[in-house]
Order: sequence, then C-alpha cells, then structure tokens
Amino acid sequence: MRRLLDRLYLISGAIGAVFIALIGVLMIAQSVLREFGVRTGAVNDVVAWFCAAASFFAMAHAFKHGDFVRVTLLLDQLSAGKRRALEIVSLCIGSVSVGYLAFWANKFTYDSYVFNEVAQGLLPIPIWIPQASFALGSILLLIAVVDELVIVLRGGKPSYVTAVEERHAKGDFSSDL
Amino acid sequence: MDILLIGGLLLFVMLLLLSGGVWIAMTLAICGWVGQAFFTTTSPGNNLFSAFWESNASWELAALPLFIWMGEILFRTKLSEEMFDGLRPWLNNVPGRLMHVTILGCGIFGSVSGSSAATCATISKVALPELLKRGYSEKIALGSLATAGTLGILIPPSITMVVYAVAADASIIRIFLAGFLPGFLLMALFSGYIIWWSLRHPDQVPAADPPTTFMEKIRLSGNLIPCGVLIIFICWVLIGGYATATECAAYGVFGSLGLALWSRSLTWTNFCDGLMGTTRTSCMIMFILAGASFLTKTMAFTGIPRELAEAVNAMHLSPLALIGVLTVVYLILGTALDGISMIVLTSAVVLPMIQKAGFDLIWFGIFIVLLVEIAEVTPPVGFNLFVLQNMTGKDSNTIAKAAIPFFGCLVVCIVLVTIFPQIVTFLPDLVMGKEK
Repeated sequence: MRRLLDRLYLISGAIGAVFIALIGVLMIAQSVLREFGVRTGAVNDVVAWFCAAASFFAMAHAFKHGDFVRVTLLLDQLSAGKRRALEIVSLCIGSVSVGYLAFWANKFTYDSYVFNEVAQGLLPIPIWIPQASFALGSILLLIAVVDELVIVLRGGKPSYVTAVEERHAKGDFSSDL
Repeated sequence: MDILLIGGLLLFVMLLLLSGGVWIAMTLAICGWVGQAFFTTTSPGNNLFSAFWESNASWELAALPLFIWMGEILFRTKLSEEMFDGLRPWLNNVPGRLMHVTILGCGIFGSVSGSSAATCATISKVALPELLKRGYSEKIALGSLATAGTLGILIPPSITMVVYAVAADASIIRIFLAGFLPGFLLMALFSGYIIWWSLRHPDQVPAADPPTTFMEKIRLSGNLIPCGVLIIFICWVLIGGYATATECAAYGVFGSLGLALWSRSLTWTNFCDGLMGTTRTSCMIMFILAGASFLTKTMAFTGIPRELAEAVNAMHLSPLALIGVLTVVYLILGTALDGISMIVLTSAVVLPMIQKAGFDLIWFGIFIVLLVEIAEVTPPVGFNLFVLQNMTGKDSNTIAKAAIPFFGCLVVCIVLVTIFPQIVTFLPDLVMGKEK
C-alpha cells in the first residue's frame, strides 16, 4: 500500500513535469512558427491549460515533499507532543478543505461534461478535457493529505517535515525562494 | 455588520490558522470561504472552482515555471564553480579585492536565477571557502553573502516579480525592466561599503594574488562567457520587446540547457531533478495564487478593500506616512512569512490603497521586493540567515550581526528609491513608453 501510494504521487508529479517541459517546447515552437507567418493563436490556450495541468497534477507530490509553505515559527517552539497535536489539527482542517475543493472540482467538471460545454477561445474543444486535470489533481491531493493524517495519527512523523529536513541537511536550497 | 468589522474577523481567522501551521494556500482559501459563506449571497463552491481554474489556467502564468526551470538548470551546472575563478583576476586592484566576488557573483547568478536562497547558497558554496583560505575577513564575507544573495529576487528575471505582476495584474516585462537600475544601485552600495571598509582596515585585507596578463584574465574568465551571453540575450529580448515574457523564459530554458550541455554537466539525473524541482516549486506558488484569487473574489464581493482604501484615504495620511506604515507592516509580516506569501496575501487589500494614494504599481512592486530582501536577512526567520547557518555551522545571530552594515545599504537603497522613484520608472518608461 505504502509503495503503491508513493509511486502514485511520484507519477502524478512526473506528469506535471512533462506538462512544464511541453510548455517550454510549445512556446519556442510558437515563436518560430510566427516568424514563418503561421497563425498560432490557439497555442496560447493550450499553454494555459498545460500550465493548469502542471500545477494540479503536481499538488500531491509537492505536498508530500514539503514544498507547500506554512508558518513554522510557532510549531518549532513547541514540545513534540503539542506539535503533534497541532499537526493533527492542521491535517484535519486540510483534509476537510481539500475534500471540499475536490468535491467542487469534480462536480463542476462533471457539469461541463454533461452540458457539453465548449472552450471559449480559438480552440473549441470540450472544456471538461482540460478541467479534468483539476478534478484528478484535487483527488490526488486529498489522498495525499488524508495519507499524512493517517501517518501522524499512527504516531509517525509527517513526510513533509522529514523531506524538508533531509533536503536542508544536504545543503540543497533550490526549492526555497 | 460593518464591512471593516468583517475584514477584522477574516484577519483574525487568517492569523489563527497561519500561526497554527495550516498551509498558507489553504488558509487563504478558507478565509475566502468564510467571507463568502457568511457575509455574501454567492455560492462559494462555484466561485472556488472558477478562482482556482482561472488563476492557474493562465497563459501569462506559464512564464513562472519556465523562469524557475532556467534557474534550476543553471543551479546544477558548474557555473557556480567557474564564477570564482572567472571574477578573481579582475578584482585584484580594487580596494577590498576578492570580497567583491560575493557581490558580483550574486549579481550575476541572481540575473539567471530568480531565487534568493539558491543564489545565496550557490555563491557561498564556492566563494566562502576560497575567501577564508586566503585570509579575508569572515565577518564581511558572511554579511555580504547573506545580503547580496537577495539580489536574486531583485535582478530580473525574478520569480517574486512574476508573482507580483500576476497578483497586481501588471506587465511582467515592465516590472522586470524596473528591477535593473535598483539592482545595480544596490550592488554599487554593497561594493561601495566594502571599498570603504577595506580602506579603513587595510591590515585586514590580504595581499593581492600574483598579477596576471590581460590574455590570462580572458582565459580564466572564458568559462563565464556563455553565461554572460545568456544574460545579455535575455536583457536584449526584454528591453528590445522582441518576445513576450513567456517566450523569453522559454528561450532562457533553452539557452541554459545548451549551457549545461556545453559545460558537460547535463546528465539525465540532473535534468530530471531540475525539472521535478521546478514542478514542485511552481506548483507551490500556483497553489498559493489560486487560494489568494479565491480570497480576492471574496474581497470583491464584500467590498472590504474599497472600504479600507477609503478609510485610509479619509485619514489624509501623506503618501510618505502611508509608505512608512506599510513598511512597518511588511517588516512584521516578514518575520513569519516568506516573500511570495507576503505579496500574494496582501495584494488584494494593499494595492487598491496604494493606487488610491497615487503610487505607481510598478514602483510599489520594486519597493515590496526590496522589503522582502530585508525580511530575508532579519532574524528570526530570515531565510538567507538560515541558509548560511546550514552551510557554515555558524549561529544565525552571528550572521545577522555580520549582515548589519549591508542591511544598512538595503535601507539606503529603499530610501533612495522612495525619494527618487525615477530610479525605478526610468527604464520601463524609456523602453515601453509612459504608462497611462
């Protein structure tokens, strides 16, 4: 189960990464094609959708990896027991709010599918196709948050804390702005 | 219920959640939900979807992951190692000698990377051991590295600026252009301090390296040339208006991949690590932007920012007093929040206020970036202090003390930019024409 979940997060992160690479390729292709007088307006829509997909697919992976920022000023001062209690509260709040997000992302996307809504802009495809990245990504994030809640409830240390500690111990600050 | 009271309540909820360690993006969205569910008649669920979707499915935002990627690629090349040897021969006769490597190195690396922590870590890794080996003052080296590292977010392309431009709905290119002159000014101030210090303490400046001929200097700096070409290319594209910010970012990625190939440091592992790191960082930022855009919708429905802007306007504060108050607010926020969260969190409320008071949004963007730079070097959570603490094992208070004179340079820069806003607006106005 653990290995399956971890692989799921990694794969979803990798999908996000592929979308980012595609954005780069598309942007260069567009500026080259424009020089040859090809109309490439629809590329802008695709890039926007890819940008959303990159971010939504990667949410679960980024969350597990400790990249989502939070204020740790107070948490760091607390004793281990109190800190654990506060982590559980945060994760409960997180699970409920991400659950709410996932519900609406899926409801809205499903509605777009049922009513067969078409994207406005130069590329009139059914809008549920790009929106599906949001629906799927939010479910993945929900799984990741609940997964962490279970880990902490079982007495473990949250993975997002361990990941950051390991990274900083190696002197890797590339993920920090 | 009084609108400002609702605002106060939302602020209270936000501070409570933030201090409890709830993730910033979620906190923003929860506050937005509370505001909409209890104080408006709209359906929060639908708004939540459209806020998340519209803020992330944005062509303009696509510049963000690409600029991050460019920095991630170069961060993994040998560029940083070549920085020290490349700059060294040119600085032998300047008072303060190799201490300027920290400032110039951070300036150069900052112009290809948009992150202050990465700039600080990269340059420290190469420059610090070399400087200490030669007997340079550790205090000056640490202080200048901590502070000059923040040039990463001031010298374009900068991730923080892209985020500000998206939050303020301003032109990315315009704000990039606005960053050049303040960046140079700040570098001049840093170097000026080092020169002044070394003239006063000649005994603490080690002897010069043996002199080198001009050809040797060129040979030593040869490895920096491709990086220089990349920087000049990006500046040229930006200033010349040849490409949009997103295209410019794509070329930057392309160029840095080429650079990594040329220096033989592009391996498959490096490539994947860089791309995955980019994905996570940009996902984190976009998640915050999405949460904030939901909160912004709440703000628009309740009318809190308008009310607040009018209340502030009715106080008849002088523009300078307003800026003074905001400076204090940002410095307090900076003790607990990172720069990007700070900008995104406040933009919905502060920007209408600023516009009402007659300030230029581009100018204010640079102003905030400078304040974020200050926050990076102030205890207790100045991130650059933390980076250097991790890299040197020194206590962060020692590093903060060493940074005080350079911190002073930052303050001088902020004061200058406030008194002479032309330092910021001159270049964008020159290149793109005055903004209406």
